[in-house]
This record gives sequence, C-alpha cells and structure tokens, in this order.
Amino acid sequence: MKLECTIDSKSLTLHVNSTKPLSLMLIEDVGVKSMLSHCQGNACGNCIVLVNDVAVLSCIVPAFRLKDAKIRTFETFHRTRLCRDIERAYRASGNKPCPDCYASKTLLIESILTELMSSTRSREEGMVDEKAIMQELSLNTCPCMDVTELLEITIQAFEYRRRRRGSN
Amino acid sequence: MEATRSPMIHQPRTLNELSLLFQRIENPLLWAGGTHLMSKSDFYPSPPNRQIIDLGEIEELKRISRTDRYVDIGSMVTTSSLLSAGKLVLPSILKSALGSIVNHITRRQITIGGAVCEPESRMAFSTALAVLDAQAEIRRWEEGRFTSAWIPVNRLYDKNGSLLLRDAPFVLTKIRLGLEWGDFQRFVLIDNPIRKPDTAILVAFQATRNQTALTKVRFSASFPKKAFYISPELENQLSLLNLPIHPDRVNTISYEMVHDLMNRHESITEFQAERTRRVFESFLHELNIQTLS
Repeated sequence: MKLECTIDSKSLTLHVNSTKPLSLMLIEDVGVKSMLSHCQGNACGNCIVLVNDVAVLSCIVPAFRLKDAKIRTFETFHRTRLCRDIERAYRASGNKPCPDCYASKTLLIESILTELMSSTRSREEGMVDEKAIMQELSLNTCPCMDVTELLEITIQAFEYRRRRRGSN
Repeated sequence: MEATRSPMIHQPRTLNELSLLFQRIENPLLWAGGTHLMSKSDFYPSPPNRQIIDLGEIEELKRISRTDRYVDIGSMVTTSSLLSAGKLVLPSILKSALGSIVNHITRRQITIGGAVCEPESRMAFSTALAVLDAQAEIRRWEEGRFTSAWIPVNRLYDKNGSLLLRDAPFVLTKIRLGLEWGDFQRFVLIDNPIRKPDTAILVAFQATRNQTALTKVRFSASFPKKAFYISPELENQLSLLNLPIHPDRVNTISYEMVHDLMNRHESITEFQAERTRRVFESFLHELNIQTLS
C-alpha cells in the first residue's frame, strides 16, 4: 500500500505491506537508528515512539493505521526541550539507561510526564501516584535499571517540567 | 514487491457497510485494536489472500451510553477511554480489572471487544464481567445476514476459557452492564498473565450485603490459557450465608472451592489453586471484618 505520513518532521510516501508493523517500517524503510529491535509484539517495550504525540509500542501498530500520522522517534525527540528535562533528571540521579533501551525508556518517561501534566492535581500540587508510575515503567523489560531508580528519575523530571512550565 | 503482496484492508464506517463487506468477503479477519494479532510470531508477513476488515472507523462501536437501567459499551471503546469514563458508568471491580492491564500505553490500544474475544488479553476484563452478569451483543453472520443476540459473558467461554462462538463468523458489537452492582466488589490479579501464565491468577468477587445476610454472590477465576472457572453451586451456597461467617466455615468453603476447581480443571497447578483459595478466603474474611467493625 501507499502510505503518506510524517516521520521526524519529514513528509514521506512509503510503499509498504499494509500490515507491516511500524517498528519494522522504521528500521527497514526509514533507517531509524534509535530503533534497535523488533520483538514481534512480545511487549519488550523497546520500540516506543510517539504517534500524533501519543506514545505507542510501534511493534503493534500496523501500517494501515498510520495514514497521515505524525510519527516522532527518539532521533528528533532528543533535540527537544522536553527531552532535556529527562536528561537533566538522569544526570541528577547519576544513572541512566543502557544504550539498548535509552531511547525507549526516555520516551516512556516522556509519556508519563505528558500524562501527569494533563492532570490538574498532579500539575498544580505535584501529586503523583507512585504505584501507577511504576506499573507504567514496567513496560520496558530491559533489566539495566531498577524500577525504583527509574521512578526517582521520573519524579525528578516531572519536577523540572513543572518548574519550567510554571516559569513560562 | 512487498506492496503488491499486501492483504487488502477494508475500513467500513457503519455497521451497514460492514454487512455489505461480509456479503462480499469470505472469512475476513476482523481487526479491533490489533494488540493480540500483532503479538503472534507468525503475524507478519500476513498471507496476502486474507482480507482484513478494520473496525476502527465504525463510530457506532466506539460509543458508551447509559440509561436508568444499564450501560452499553461499544466493542471498539479502548480500555483506556473506558477507564476515564467515570464512576457512574463503571463499577469499581471493572475499574480494578482494567487498571490491572499492563500499562497506559497498551491500554490505549486494547479494545473492549478484543479484550473479550481474544484468549490471552481477555482474562482480566472477562473475569470481572462474569461476576457483573454482563451481556454481550453478538451479531452472527448466518445465511447472508446478521442476526443479533444478547449472550451472558460467562456463557461465551468453555471451561478451558476458549471462545464458544466459532461455528459462524460474528461481530461483538456491545457489552451491556446492569446498574445494580453489589456493595462488595473485589478483583485480584497476581502475576502477569502474559509473562507468567503458569503462576498467574485472576479472581473476581461480588456480593450484596442485606443487613447480615449475604446475597447475590458472584465469583469467577481465570487461569491464563487453562481455565475459566465459575460455579453456580458455590455462589448459591455463599448466597445463603449470614455474616459474620465462622472461620471454620470459611476454611471449609474455601477448600471445597479448590476441590471443585481442581476436579474440573486438571491443568491448573497446585500453586495456582492454593493462591486462588487464599484470595477467596481473604474476601470472606474481609466481609467478616467489615461486618464486625
């Protein structure tokens, strides 16, 4: 099928199999380097990308659901101010994900921050549900970091995001 | 080359259009959220001769509507949007069951219809629906047209948890929940049903307390890829009890439940059975505590 979409701010027309998973499209047809593996929908959590600004597991999104979609991978996300909040939290904790899952964990944290910022209570009072965040973080199964470390980083990044939004 | 061998995708916008497609296409593959289909190791590349009907454009299947007596949930409503539907629409037990589904990213993609129909992902949702006496609207494709029927969710599966509707093509269009929910509802999921199917259990319990009497008790337990357990006998037995239940009686009932469970489902491990017994027992103890406090 002929698919028109925007990947990392580039408008593309791709000729792909209609059921091809987005993760494979990004690896084979677009050559995205931050996408390292295709787990065939086994939920390894290493293929997170943003589709129309919403985080998805790209291994379970077929090409036919991507007409006119805006897809953002880590390759352009890491140049944004949003990513800097998370990288700052990595530096503050003195720990960061391994190269295999760095892109995915960072986008996973970003999806949690987006969710938290959309909740008035979280945004204004800084209230977070740690259990729910840990459940979200468990999506990525790479064992390079403990989930409690990631939780700390997420909460720290959330603080940075709130302060930045508050000062804007 | 790749593009020419693609399966044909049809995206109907109404149920009428879907009906027309059923007339034209033999044995189509129905696509709801796609999470289950795409997690199969042999999913891609898909056979080019299999035509796919994507249900994602049918607005009628994405609606949630509430009347004085029931709530109708369209089969293409995602678990994520149902979770945000609010207390008036969603009993707490269903909220717990939906919340137990891995994470928000996946919940945005899993649909209610898929969660009821697909064997690996449906466990949490259908276990909770079974105790809520929910019904599913099933449209079977028979003799060139759809015929509609409401079927209780707990009759959709055989004792091993397999879907019973395989004799004719069908579309699940709605789930209907009555609004008379019990005042004691619990849902427990232990271990990840996809990653640890041999130890995972899913248990749902609902009851109404009428002063000291326990009425309308519903209990169901699911074991990934093994069993879907409901026992009207056990429910009747519990529905006759007065609160508080004597600890010896709690103990006896829980062992009787496990005995029945193991007799009916040999594939369940002893570990899973013991886990289920303890969770079941904890519900009864909790009922006692609430009665006495």
